[in-house]
Amino acid sequence: MSNQRKRNFQIEAFKHRVVIDPKYADKTWKILEHAIHEIYNHNASGLSFEELYRNAYNMVLHKFGEKLYSGLVATMTGHLKEIAKSVEAAQGGSFLEELNRKWNDHNKALQMIRDILMYMDRTYIPSTQKTPVHELGLNLWREIVIYSNQIRNRLLNTLLELVHSERTGDVIDRGIMRNITKMLVDLGPSVYVHEFELHFLHVSAEFYRVESQKFIECCDCGDYLKKAERRLNEEIDRVSHYLDPRTEKKITNVVEKEMIENHMLRLIHMENSGLVHMFSDDKYDDLGRMYNLFRRVPDGLSKIREVMTEHIKETGKQLVNDPERLKDPVEFVQRLLDEKDKYDKIINFAFNNDKSFQNALNSSFEYFINLNPRSPEFISLFVDDKLRKGLKGVSEDDVEVTLDKVMMLFRYLQEKDVFEKYYKQHLAKRLLSGKTVSDDAERSLIVKLKTECGYQFTSKLEGMFTDMKTSQDTMQGFYASHPELVDGPTLTVQVLTTGSWPTQSSVTCNLPAEMSALCEKFRSYYLGTHTGRRLSWQTNMGTADLKATFGKGQKHELNVSTYQMCVLMLFNNADRLSYKEIEQATEIPASDLKRCLQSLALVKGRNVLRKEPMSKDVGEDDAFFVNDKFSSKLYKVKIGTVVAQKESEPEKQETRQRVEEDRKPQIEAAIVRIMKSRKQLDHNNLIAEVTKQLQSRFLANPTEVKKRIESLIERDFLERDENDRKLYRYLA
Amino acid sequence: MRKEDTVKLISAEGFEFVVDKEAAMVSQTIHNMLTSPGSFAERQHGEVTFPEISTTILEKICQYFYWHLQFASGKETEFPIEPELTLELMMAANYLHT
Repeated sequence: MSNQRKRNFQIEAFKHRVVIDPKYADKTWKILEHAIHEIYNHNASGLSFEELYRNAYNMVLHKFGEKLYSGLVATMTGHLKEIAKSVEAAQGGSFLEELNRKWNDHNKALQMIRDILMYMDRTYIPSTQKTPVHELGLNLWREIVIYSNQIRNRLLNTLLELVHSERTGDVIDRGIMRNITKMLVDLGPSVYVHEFELHFLHVSAEFYRVESQKFIECCDCGDYLKKAERRLNEEIDRVSHYLDPRTEKKITNVVEKEMIENHMLRLIHMENSGLVHMFSDDKYDDLGRMYNLFRRVPDGLSKIREVMTEHIKETGKQLVNDPERLKDPVEFVQRLLDEKDKYDKIINFAFNNDKSFQNALNSSFEYFINLNPRSPEFISLFVDDKLRKGLKGVSEDDVEVTLDKVMMLFRYLQEKDVFEKYYKQHLAKRLLSGKTVSDDAERSLIVKLKTECGYQFTSKLEGMFTDMKTSQDTMQGFYASHPELVDGPTLTVQVLTTGSWPTQSSVTCNLPAEMSALCEKFRSYYLGTHTGRRLSWQTNMGTADLKATFGKGQKHELNVSTYQMCVLMLFNNADRLSYKEIEQATEIPASDLKRCLQSLALVKGRNVLRKEPMSKDVGEDDAFFVNDKFSSKLYKVKIGTVVAQKESEPEKQETRQRVEEDRKPQIEAAIVRIMKSRKQLDHNNLIAEVTKQLQSRFLANPTEVKKRIESLIERDFLERDENDRKLYRYLA
Repeated sequence: MRKEDTVKLISAEGFEFVVDKEAAMVSQTIHNMLTSPGSFAERQHGEVTFPEISTTILEKICQYFYWHLQFASGKETEFPIEPELTLELMMAANYLHT
């Protein structure tokens, strides 16, 4: 800034000479102070912004920033003190309004002041690290107005009272509430938190503690949940209308804690309306509500899950152990399916399809289904029933649905091989008696089993279907080569591959002469076409159609089993036969014969034979006659055997034993497979791996596995380590 | 051009420049003048007097306002400033917060 420069002269000219005036600063400040007063008095319209700005600009430029700033603080403080007084003086309800109006005024004034003092804000304040005008205004407001002794508590109490009266149902001016809370937030988050939020949360907690206590004493669980839900929504609504959004989480936490978490167990176990009650009454709405509310609190869902698991296990246990239910396997399985449907629906509708609940459901079902060792048999019987008759007139889709459901139960079974055993037996009966309704359904189920358990599981079942098909062709070939047989009795033979079909004790009975002749012809035909095979007759599985003429000349066609046919044929040559005579002539095993005679003589409407004496059971000394009085509206009469649908106790034992026997090679195979790849393994790991490998078929019994290991050691497949007796080595 | 959309800027010597508000508001100071709550005289009358800015400088400033708008909308041209105006212009710019 040397004077020698020509340009400097012009700069001098631009400067205000008033600088030299010692009273310049005071004068200028007076103008600004006056302006600030005018602004607070709503009298700003006559003021020139440019003039004020220029004055403030010049004051800062001429190093009077300090004076300007302190003057501002003093003037503003003065005004705020007056404002505080007028707010303090406001009566009752107008308190908040007055506060709000003054706050708006102050805000507006502050904005104007900041605008005219902008140059100071821009240059002087940053360089001296003072508080910017706007913030200064807020700070002063906070210190002088809000923290005023007579305002501070009154403000808080007024706000809390308003919230309380809204909670108890009154309508309040939400607009003013919003403005006031917004003011507190604008004054800094900590102001909002300390002046309002903390107290608000505290009071709310108190309020809900009392209220929830009251509700829980007098409401049932469903009502209580409804109330809690409503309260929760109210609070969320309140926050969205006039509180800081950050409060939402906190206040909902308070409500959740006071209304739900503290009463969780009591709610769940509430008598006559708790969780268990909701399950039994299918209260989807209440369950959904409970799920949504409990989800909000820690451990809420796990509590529900625990109770649900417990409940399902308990009811399931009762179901599978109820001796009444065990009488009817179809009903039994239907009940299981219904139960599953019920909980599926609940989880779907009320529990948001929560995976953890589905898992809990699955494990509960797995638990109780396997409690009853007869479950595999019953499930197979259920399928049997469906495939025999249940699916008639049902659309294909529905069939699929039913089968899928059965597969779901099947998945729960631990002893899948037992199911396979029974399924094989039942399938065999269905195929041989031609009772199966839909080939498609049968195959579809096999495909499902195959996807579930692999090729091995179903190969034999598929073999059974193939046998049926081949037999048809064989029969056509047989009749083609024996045209002379068309007139006599017809024989249909199903040739079954041994191994694919469930092994039957092949006790042959004496067939009537007509039949044995035919059988011989077939045998020679079959062995003629297939060398090196052996045929044995399974007379216990066949059926026959008989044409019979009764006493009054009425004719009927009787559809009977092979055994029944043998018995009935005897009456072609005799009127009266004793039990002993029948037994001798047919050589049918006693239990089968009894059953067969029972169905011929004792079933009402189907009693083609007459028994003496007329007792309910067939005894060894009974005698049988053709029932001449037999009559039926139908020409074709179907005489079912009194089928032992469920297995009798000894049969069950036998099946069980067969299953155990079948498991042995499978366990051994698994052991060898594992040892072959591992070379050496200790006992516990080996057992674990074997169990894992066999899981898809059955649950291996560790003692049994141990026995198999020992047997393999004896047969030199494995050896024990010399030093560590628990370690096995594979011997190649 | 509607009156509400313009503002009259008056120099120390009393010359009047009528410019678009949009252009004038390139200056933060003028922007505050015209938008500050409450109603200052400038906002009511739509005119601002600058007793400390000479006509030459104010004219240059008005040119600058329009140049700035163009520049901001992507038209990059030079803004010529005569060397003898530089200093005064800078002071005015500081005042106007431009």
